[in-house]
Amino acid sequence: MVAHLLRLRLRLLGNSFRRSPWQLVALIVGLLYGLGMALVVASALFGLRLAPVSLAASAVTVFGAILVLGFLLVPLVFGTDDAMDPRTFAVYDIPTGRLATGLATASLVGVPAVAVALIGLAQIVTWARGLLPVLFAVVGAAVILATCLLSARVTTSLAAFLLSTRRSRDATGVLGIVILLLLAPGFISLLTVDWQHRGLSILEDVARVVGWTPLGAVWAAPADAAAGQVGAALLKELIAIAFVGGLWLAWRALVALMLVTPQRQAHARRYGGLGFFRLLPSSPTAAVAARSFTYWVRDARYHVSLLIIPIVPLILMLPLMIGGVPTNVLALLPVPVIALFLGWSIHNDIAYDNTAVWLHIASSVPGRADRLGRAIPALVVGIPVIVIASVTCSSLFGDPASLPAILGVGLGLLLSGLGFSSVMSAAFPYPAVRPGDSPFAQPQAAGSASAFIQSVSFIVTAVLAGPTFVFAFLFLIQGGDWGWAALVSGIALGTVILVAGVLLGGRIFERRSPAILAFTMRN
Amino acid sequence: MAVATTPVEQPAPEPVAEPAVPREIVLAIRGLRKRFDSTIAVAGIDLDVYAGSFFGVVGPNGAGKTTTLSMITGLLRPDAGSVTVHGADVWGDPVTAKRNMGVLPDRLRLFDRLTGAQLLYYSGVLRGLDRDTVVARTADLANAFGFEDALDRLVTDYSAGMTKKVALAAALIHSPRLLVLDEPFESVDPVSAANVTAILKRYVAAGGTVVLSSHSMDLIQRICDYVAVVVDGAVLDTGTMAKVRGDKTLEERFVELAGGRTDTEGMEWLHTFSA
Repeated sequence: MVAHLLRLRLRLLGNSFRRSPWQLVALIVGLLYGLGMALVVASALFGLRLAPVSLAASAVTVFGAILVLGFLLVPLVFGTDDAMDPRTFAVYDIPTGRLATGLATASLVGVPAVAVALIGLAQIVTWARGLLPVLFAVVGAAVILATCLLSARVTTSLAAFLLSTRRSRDATGVLGIVILLLLAPGFISLLTVDWQHRGLSILEDVARVVGWTPLGAVWAAPADAAAGQVGAALLKELIAIAFVGGLWLAWRALVALMLVTPQRQAHARRYGGLGFFRLLPSSPTAAVAARSFTYWVRDARYHVSLLIIPIVPLILMLPLMIGGVPTNVLALLPVPVIALFLGWSIHNDIAYDNTAVWLHIASSVPGRADRLGRAIPALVVGIPVIVIASVTCSSLFGDPASLPAILGVGLGLLLSGLGFSSVMSAAFPYPAVRPGDSPFAQPQAAGSASAFIQSVSFIVTAVLAGPTFVFAFLFLIQGGDWGWAALVSGIALGTVILVAGVLLGGRIFERRSPAILAFTMRN
Repeated sequence: MAVATTPVEQPAPEPVAEPAVPREIVLAIRGLRKRFDSTIAVAGIDLDVYAGSFFGVVGPNGAGKTTTLSMITGLLRPDAGSVTVHGADVWGDPVTAKRNMGVLPDRLRLFDRLTGAQLLYYSGVLRGLDRDTVVARTADLANAFGFEDALDRLVTDYSAGMTKKVALAAALIHSPRLLVLDEPFESVDPVSAANVTAILKRYVAAGGTVVLSSHSMDLIQRICDYVAVVVDGAVLDTGTMAKVRGDKTLEERFVELAGGRTDTEGMEWLHTFSA
């Protein structure tokens, strides 16, 4: 049984190489990245051999705990597509124990397992400071591998099992965003710590606590042995082994439960009336807009791309703030960034529809109605956001006269971004997360083509708003009426680009419609 | 006409002879071809579908049924050939041709984050109907197909059969002249299927035209008056149901045309059950 499942896992891994060249490139980059990271960590662990015991102990314990936590949490939040899901084997008469053993063993095949094994072996080198520490580290290496792999197995299956309904999948997308938002202040406080003077003692404090938890115990045990505290080391090693035992029991119980539990049934919610369709007139353009609005509200994939917009300026501002850029200059950053992302938000909208776009094609919806309808929600949401943000930022900048310039850049970027996105999504759609999948799932065929299209969309949008940028820049240097010039050029130029983009994108959509549908069917 | 020899005795559909005065040809297909890389999916199909007929396309899996129907509905561009719907070329004058067509594709998604009511409304408005018409027709269709209770639920939460029914209702909402339905009865329960069949028959009696594909021979024989047998991307036989099936059932005739049955001997082990 174990041999069979190992062979199956190898075969799955082998088959992942039999795809299109770009997918292959992406896969190989992923493999090299994973192994490269493991090698970097391993060399750091080699280096720690030369460090004093207390420093090595803190560093290894904290890092190790984060690694185990990652194996526990990543599958829960990102919900991986699991080919070795125990339910796949429900129709075969395999005893639960053998299936659980086999599936756990099969997870040894793969990049994460190899990476963890490398790191586990490397920490033996860190503790090559006597017989006892080495003994603890050698046992630890095996425990580390088992802990990480079983953690991932348990939480992957838990995610697949609990998140099998659409609604709970949608909820995890939002959960992921909330976690990101919660982490942001954490990062900020990390950055404000005076690492040069107090960093080490903080690390030691954290390590001391974490070393007694199941996450860090296995990493801390050899350190205690090296420091001569054999009793503490033994106790920690026991905690770690007990954790593996607990994970194993959980895994076995989960396999047994999943084999006899069919897919969970979602309780369907009712929505009265026609919603946005009621609010907007009954023309094709307005109907497409109402449909887009509805998806922005109901589809977790759109939530993620919208919620990310206020986070990006924060992430961009942080390093600048730490680098000592004055706050009033930083106030110039958020509006252009938000506008750029809002305009960019629809650049791959057709791929989000997936094959449902056939309805537009079979109904011969005019291309410009399709294009404009998809841009309307971004306009309706974006214009007020940019106006409010511009007022706020111009007062933060300390000069109310800067409002026209900031507003002009924001509106110019939004309008021209929507115009250019209207062309891009008809001409160059690239694979996106499928409807109903976790918004963080990677599309089957993501590759460098998508990265290229994303960069082109950003750069061209910025270039199209170039004149407005120039006027706004002149205002910053010379003041005067240049700000008003920026506002006028932003609105006028942006409107022209939006109209042109909608018309051109519409013609492309009509001409390419069978090719677009064929693209979505491949996705 | 000879009596059919199926265990399920079926009376043949009424019109047996070709119409004396040719009726309007609502769908004309000429020399339709499509290849995907090295496989030829459709190898030159010619078909005429008369207005007011119930036209069945039968064929084994992978025969090119879906490919053909996709090219008819303007969802897939043919390599060669033409499709004319009520005088309008699907690839030359798509707007007119598509206005006359209602489409139910197989295995394509719907905008399933909409409720049933919203999806029907959306389909109707995209077809140019006004609000009041769509709302009235939505109620009628929901009543006829029996999904009034599901109108306020998201389509993504529907069962497969329910999804099919809503999609079929969406194809009907603009009262097209021609309905092109790919596997309309797949995963639809027998009661609903009978219901849908009755609706389609009334539609045909009123002068509408239905082209549908299915691999259920029994169903096609029961409801269609014209049939085309498609195998390996080519039409092996077409005409009235009576002409195509002769004195056999459609299923027997189909198996004969499609190349006979595979020898099913040599699986004796299947009759000795495991302990």
